[in-house]
Amino acid sequence: MSHLVKMENGQSQTIQEMLGCIERYNPDHLKTLEAYVQDQAKNNTYDLEANLAVLKLYQFNPHMLNFDITYTILLKSLTSLPHTDFVMAKCLLLPQQMKDENVQTIIDLADILERADFTLFWQRAETIRKDLLKELLGGIEDSTLESWIKRNGWKHQGQGLVVVATQDDKIKTKNITEKIEFDNVGALMAQCL
Amino acid sequence: MYGGDEYPSNSEYYDDFAHTGDPQLDMEYERNYFSTRMPDNVKYFLINFCQAIKEGNLYDIQNMYENTFPQISDHHFDKTAWPEEQEVAAIVDNDKVFLILYKELYYRHIHARIPGGPKLEQRINSFFNYCDFFNLIISAQNPVMLELPDIWLWELVDEFVYQFQNFAQYRARLTDKSQDEIQQLCVNHSNVWSILCILNVLHSLVDISNIKKQLEAISQGVDPQTVAGDFGKLSFYKMLGYFSLVGLLRVHSLLGDYYQAIKVLEPIEIHKKSAYSHIPACQISTSYYVGFAYMMMRRYADAIRTFSDILLYIQRTKQLYSTRSYQNDQINKQAEQMYHLLAICLVLHPQCIDESIQQVLREKNYHDAMFKMQCGDLEVFKSFFVFACPRFVSPCPPAADAPMEDYVKDPMEHQLLVFMDEVRQQKDLPTTRSYLKLYTTLPLTKLASFIDPNASDDDVSKLLIRLLCFKHKMRNLVWSKGPSGLEGTFKSGSELDFYIDDDMIHIADTKVSHRYGDFFVRKILKFNDLNRKLKNINI
Repeated sequence: MSHLVKMENGQSQTIQEMLGCIERYNPDHLKTLEAYVQDQAKNNTYDLEANLAVLKLYQFNPHMLNFDITYTILLKSLTSLPHTDFVMAKCLLLPQQMKDENVQTIIDLADILERADFTLFWQRAETIRKDLLKELLGGIEDSTLESWIKRNGWKHQGQGLVVVATQDDKIKTKNITEKIEFDNVGALMAQCL
Repeated sequence: MYGGDEYPSNSEYYDDFAHTGDPQLDMEYERNYFSTRMPDNVKYFLINFCQAIKEGNLYDIQNMYENTFPQISDHHFDKTAWPEEQEVAAIVDNDKVFLILYKELYYRHIHARIPGGPKLEQRINSFFNYCDFFNLIISAQNPVMLELPDIWLWELVDEFVYQFQNFAQYRARLTDKSQDEIQQLCVNHSNVWSILCILNVLHSLVDISNIKKQLEAISQGVDPQTVAGDFGKLSFYKMLGYFSLVGLLRVHSLLGDYYQAIKVLEPIEIHKKSAYSHIPACQISTSYYVGFAYMMMRRYADAIRTFSDILLYIQRTKQLYSTRSYQNDQINKQAEQMYHLLAICLVLHPQCIDESIQQVLREKNYHDAMFKMQCGDLEVFKSFFVFACPRFVSPCPPAADAPMEDYVKDPMEHQLLVFMDEVRQQKDLPTTRSYLKLYTTLPLTKLASFIDPNASDDDVSKLLIRLLCFKHKMRNLVWSKGPSGLEGTFKSGSELDFYIDDDMIHIADTKVSHRYGDFFVRKILKFNDLNRKLKNINI
């Protein structure tokens, strides 16, 4: 769904156009942007730049602060992990927002995710025990596990192990050695003659 | 040109007229003194300065701006203001443009040199003077035919942002003001130095100069003049536009908006030298704010590259600007801050950097502090951050019903909190790394017992979480190409990486062999020099 912003001169702009110019700081557009945030939550879309622009408008106009929209923006930014969108949003919060209980809960939630990011685990691990895998996925049944294995192209290896990826050729010891080309020292050698 | 903190005032008070000790009387005395006896060389300077600007003689303007003005300031106006507008108007034939430029320097001088800082009235007048200047050049139908040296244009834009920052801090301090002053500040003059004015000015300069289109044209190999427009064709507008992009970078950083900070620079290829990078202070300031924003966004590899590139550049070009002391002070301060930030980044994300930067970190004894940070000393992280971070500000004055407190530090405390949350999340990683570095394969249970000799099965699963966290935090977005500094791909660029295969950790370390080239080149040059000297000795 595309959102249009009404300008003072009666014309309309898309949100992206509006964010590209000085209009992004105009508090008159806050309502449209807030509706856009709710839309993202409903339709599973995501627009970091617009959401940060909303937080910035709150920063400039603290009396217009809307807590529900704040929660939505923060939670949405968590869904983009491992990107650091949440940190960027957090940097823009006002003291009032930081004191809010729900905001604190979301910050705690983010803290847990940041300390042990399970989603990342799947890209990192090579083989993993079946029971641990079930636990990490939230204590699921065998049948559910089977569908996950199928969906992600993992393989059973026997002895209760699951192969999730091959890391052997991706993570290798690097050796950095010094290389001196003749051109680099040519001038110096000429000088010594 | 000014970093944004308090100015130390150690030098002796310059005293060339009688002081009574009473500020009111002194001011009166000063006024009489100048109206009757403006020193002759000041008078001649102002007349010549005005003339040079009228004629657009860039060489003379730059010389007077960079050399004569600071010299006369030292000599006649150390800790006092330059002559009032009216007195100057009389000797320069009421030249409106010159008077605006003069007042820009006049208020800048007050901000930098007057103990106790500018008064509210002076801050307000300085703001309106900037408005006059920008109205003059932006609102005109046709471009204004004015030429100023690039260094002045840079320092003008930079000072404009600095005075905004300084005003925002002044406004947040309610403890040293009377009710009347607060009323003046927050009600009568609430639009003065408002964030919207600042953004509006900077955006207007960017737009009028078409600087974004020009930079895009350059990167595509097209002649920028074809897209520059009537204003942007002129160096004056083009450079103001360019410096405004850097000004926006700084404003967004001061507000904690790191995404926008990097975003506004999109047309500029930060990692490349360009025709615009000839003002060292601008280059250095750009890198400082870009690097800082990267650090806050947990893009350590990008931050480290940005800091070490610019610190190398400073090392190599130091001689060039050592003569101009006020510029030099600023550069040294910012360089020191960047070494602090670099040290933080290297603790969180160890990686190879240029040997000569490494050497400075060794010589200036950053290693002690870095070692403490590696061991999880949060206080050191804190003090490094506080020393090296920009002086953050709030875009709004304190609420009308706010208790009479000092709110200056609030924005900084918030950024510090976000940063320290990040550090706390990573606190255990350096210890884990130090164990992993010793092996190429290591069973999970063994690592768990290193960390805690009485480790149980439960601790092994805790260790897994810790290793996951390690993986997650070390996997940063890293810029590789393209104009946008926000783009990048995920990489584990730190020196150590690993994967887990069932119960075994497989570790890949980066080994760097010693570099001898630089060492030998230095010795060869030294011996060459010695040889030459020996040959020249006649006995």
